[in-house]
Amino acid sequence: MALTESRPLALTSGDVDTVYKPAGVFTRPKSGATGWKSWLTTVDHKKIGIMYGAAAIFFFVIGGIEALLIRVQLWAPRGTLLSANLYNQVFTMHGTTMIFLVVMPIGAAFANYLMPLQIGARDVAYPRINAFSFWAFLFGGVFLNSSWLLGGGADGGWFNYAPNNGVIFSPTNGIDFWNLGLIITGVASLAGAVNLIVTVLNMRAPGMTLMKMPIFTWMTLVTQFLLLFAIPVLTAAQILLMMDRLFDANFFNVAKGANPLLWQHLFWIFGHPEVYLMILPAFGIVSEILPTFARKPIFGYPFIVFSGIAIGFMGWGVWAHHMFVSGIGPITVTTFALTTMFIAVPTGVKILNWVATMWGGKLQFTSPMLFSIGLVTMFTIGGLSGVTHSVAPADTQQTDTYYIVAHFHYVLFGGAFFGFMAGFYFYWPKVFGYLLNEKLGKANFWLMLLGFNLTFAPMHILGLQGMSRRIYTYDAGYGFEVWNKVATIGAFILASSIALFIFNMFYSKSKAKNLPAPGADPWDARTIEWMIPSPTPEYNFDPIPTVSRVDDFWYRKYGETKDGKLVRIAATDDVVQKLSDGKHIHLPSPSYWPIVLAFGMPIAAYGLIFNMWLCLVGGIIIVGGLYGWVLEPPDDPEASHDDDGTDTHASDGGDAAVTEISGSVDQPNELDPAKEAETVG
Amino acid sequence: MTLTSHDPIPASNLDGAVEDYSRDKVYVLTALFLAAVTVLEVLTYAYPDFPVWADNLLIPVLMIMMAVKFFTVLYIFMHLKFDKPILTWVFYAGLVLAVLVYLAMLSTFRIWWPESHS
Amino acid sequence: MAEALTARESIKAADAHAPSAHIEHDTNTGISNTKLGMWLFLASECLLFGGLITTYLLYKRPLEGPTPEEIFDIPFTSTSSFVLLMSSLTMVLAVSAIERGDHERLRIWIGATALLGATFIAGQIYEFTVFVREGLGFTTSRFSSAFYTLTGFHGVHVTIGIIMLMSLVLLSLRGKLPEHRSETVEIVGLYWHFVDVVWIFIFAVVYLVP
Repeated sequence: MALTESRPLALTSGDVDTVYKPAGVFTRPKSGATGWKSWLTTVDHKKIGIMYGAAAIFFFVIGGIEALLIRVQLWAPRGTLLSANLYNQVFTMHGTTMIFLVVMPIGAAFANYLMPLQIGARDVAYPRINAFSFWAFLFGGVFLNSSWLLGGGADGGWFNYAPNNGVIFSPTNGIDFWNLGLIITGVASLAGAVNLIVTVLNMRAPGMTLMKMPIFTWMTLVTQFLLLFAIPVLTAAQILLMMDRLFDANFFNVAKGANPLLWQHLFWIFGHPEVYLMILPAFGIVSEILPTFARKPIFGYPFIVFSGIAIGFMGWGVWAHHMFVSGIGPITVTTFALTTMFIAVPTGVKILNWVATMWGGKLQFTSPMLFSIGLVTMFTIGGLSGVTHSVAPADTQQTDTYYIVAHFHYVLFGGAFFGFMAGFYFYWPKVFGYLLNEKLGKANFWLMLLGFNLTFAPMHILGLQGMSRRIYTYDAGYGFEVWNKVATIGAFILASSIALFIFNMFYSKSKAKNLPAPGADPWDARTIEWMIPSPTPEYNFDPIPTVSRVDDFWYRKYGETKDGKLVRIAATDDVVQKLSDGKHIHLPSPSYWPIVLAFGMPIAAYGLIFNMWLCLVGGIIIVGGLYGWVLEPPDDPEASHDDDGTDTHASDGGDAAVTEISGSVDQPNELDPAKEAETVG
Repeated sequence: MTLTSHDPIPASNLDGAVEDYSRDKVYVLTALFLAAVTVLEVLTYAYPDFPVWADNLLIPVLMIMMAVKFFTVLYIFMHLKFDKPILTWVFYAGLVLAVLVYLAMLSTFRIWWPESHS
Repeated sequence: MAEALTARESIKAADAHAPSAHIEHDTNTGISNTKLGMWLFLASECLLFGGLITTYLLYKRPLEGPTPEEIFDIPFTSTSSFVLLMSSLTMVLAVSAIERGDHERLRIWIGATALLGATFIAGQIYEFTVFVREGLGFTTSRFSSAFYTLTGFHGVHVTIGIIMLMSLVLLSLRGKLPEHRSETVEIVGLYWHFVDVVWIFIFAVVYLVP
């Protein structure tokens, strides 16, 4: 197992058994368990990835219903479906859900599932923290949405500007739920970021230097660094807001001299890296798909990589373009207008690389390819409307209109979500062992493209006509009626395309029995995750391959003649790995504690809102979970994996203990926001 | 077998540190140095008119002393100096980013010119 | 074609010599996962504390209530800062003790670190009590909210550190902390020193800068 460190175990003599003493207070769950229980205690990155995806699709349906409510309300002037107050809650929760509970977790789902496979690792660096991240995200999301049943959702827009987010202007608990829920998902993201960065930096297969990593892995690395540094800024802002709302502090209390712009700054210092960390995983996915179906290597691998890194850096210097109309002064506006124009450059580099990858290739228009091309085109539109925001005078007109709404749906739906759809269709066979139906997939793509453009293209016009975003209704006679109707029709077409996708999952599964299995490499793909059987066996690789170049798997199948022609040098069946029983491979044992620990956090958060005694209960669960975590043995004692004597249980387990116990020691820090709340409260 | 504090530490026990470092003595001396700088810091409060930090120089002098302490702990006690460079890079990424971003943010509030900031 | 075939042979040969599934291979960076993870976490903490310190700097001039100059007791805070600084020394001595395999000293030094940390926290509680008595409540002014949040947040970090140190002592007493796990102590030490450097920053910027 690659969960190791360079330091020898200091067990040179025969004292293996005496030196290693597992703390062993609690036993671990059995490794071989199946059924739903195995999902609760799993630490397998693949199962966790699947759960991230499933939870995100569940939240996507909730957020989608909220979107449809918005569109129905705006179908005609003076809509009466939602009251002004309810409308505020619906659009706030729609934005929050889609960003924090859909796009970010789908990115996490792909990163969790694919990244270890792409670098040839057995699992992530800290399997238990990985499970904790997922459960904390899920419970945070459920906590956030439970506000609907407990007095109403947040109503200040997804960025909840001060002083609107204060108790005076938003007296219900909605914003408290928003605030604490996102602190919990923030802890999850932070733990996940540390985990995935360490995995990429430390656990690559032999021969895989950084510049031989697949692009998706590179984009995951950049994304996780962005998360690592952006999440704490949001957490800091949210701690201030929590103090204000729950303990009457004065951070956004204008009467005591507070400056509401503080919230705007902190939020957007987080918020702008956030938009890049939502789009980069999708960029990574299409950078895998386009070369596969163009049957050419990616054009300019180093440029794609470095432009991704450049986006990661420059994303920190543009936040105030969200604040051009807030009175920050001409020097600040000019500075941020310039930096914003510059950040279009690395993004443009990427678009150029994708187009050049396709140029002259033998394109195969499969559904993943169609969705990828959809990303390239739709994101370009969104990117261009984004550049118009950098022109501060124009932005002054566009701010808080539907033009903004159109822009960010083009980048987040047309960009990120099209990329994710491409990824779903592309990686479905690897994950579940059957292909999604191609005909339905193509229909899904065209329906989605049509619905998407019908919904969001008219919003550009509405915005320039002056329709404010977040307004719950409008009067007749401003010329808004037609385009709102078109957008609403488009939204329902979009919803039907999602329904078609969900139908396709089940339909294809039911038909899969009669079809030949897709095999390890159904797309004739390029990177090493396609070398292993589909669905991925629990142990991933056996043996771990040695990587000698970018697209290593491709070059095991194909070579080049002197005049640069592609020649097949080996049948795919000869180079892919065969399913082995995996008995000799030691995998981390499942654990009860991640879910226990994560469960304590929403309890403590309810306590902060309703009753401090609940905080105590939550705190006890958290602390108990931590000690359980530290004190559980590194292995399921009955897990057998050694048959040759060289790989003794004790040495392996002891090593895992070194990694994992101290890994969990730093866990309390990651729980700071919750603990902090208890202590100060 | 217990080693005394004067013996060199076996390389295998050094937790990934690149080279051996002479241990406890260095630590105690470092702590004395830190204590001395702290005393100097407090002296700026006790004797505000001392020429070195009188008037406009107080803040720069304090910041320099703070930075000296900060990096001493970082490099000796947290042994960045002896460890793999990637750790330094990782930490500096966060530190430098924090300093730049927050300084930029404070600048937009114009707090460096107190008269314009009520 | 011929070259292509050789290339494939060489890949095969490389695979044959690859570490097989159950031979541990080094991490790519040569640093253990845990240590790298801790440093990443500390880097992230810079942004968290940075946000709170920035907020304090923005709000340090209150519109009403006591000002920082009126309320701070510099000699007292200097003493408690000194105590925290010295706890970093005892922490490194603990790390070097366990690397020598000296478990007795390890427990003594870790205990001393925890004790110094607790002294610091006690000082902070005392300081807060005095401030409240002198009319600086949490909700008094923008300065008071920012001050208590920042220093309180730091105090919570110290408290968590003390809990981790005490857990280490318990583990060591039960013999669960052999030399080859000395890295666990080192990692907790990194956290502890980081909390100390944050205080070095806070002490200068919050307390000493007029």
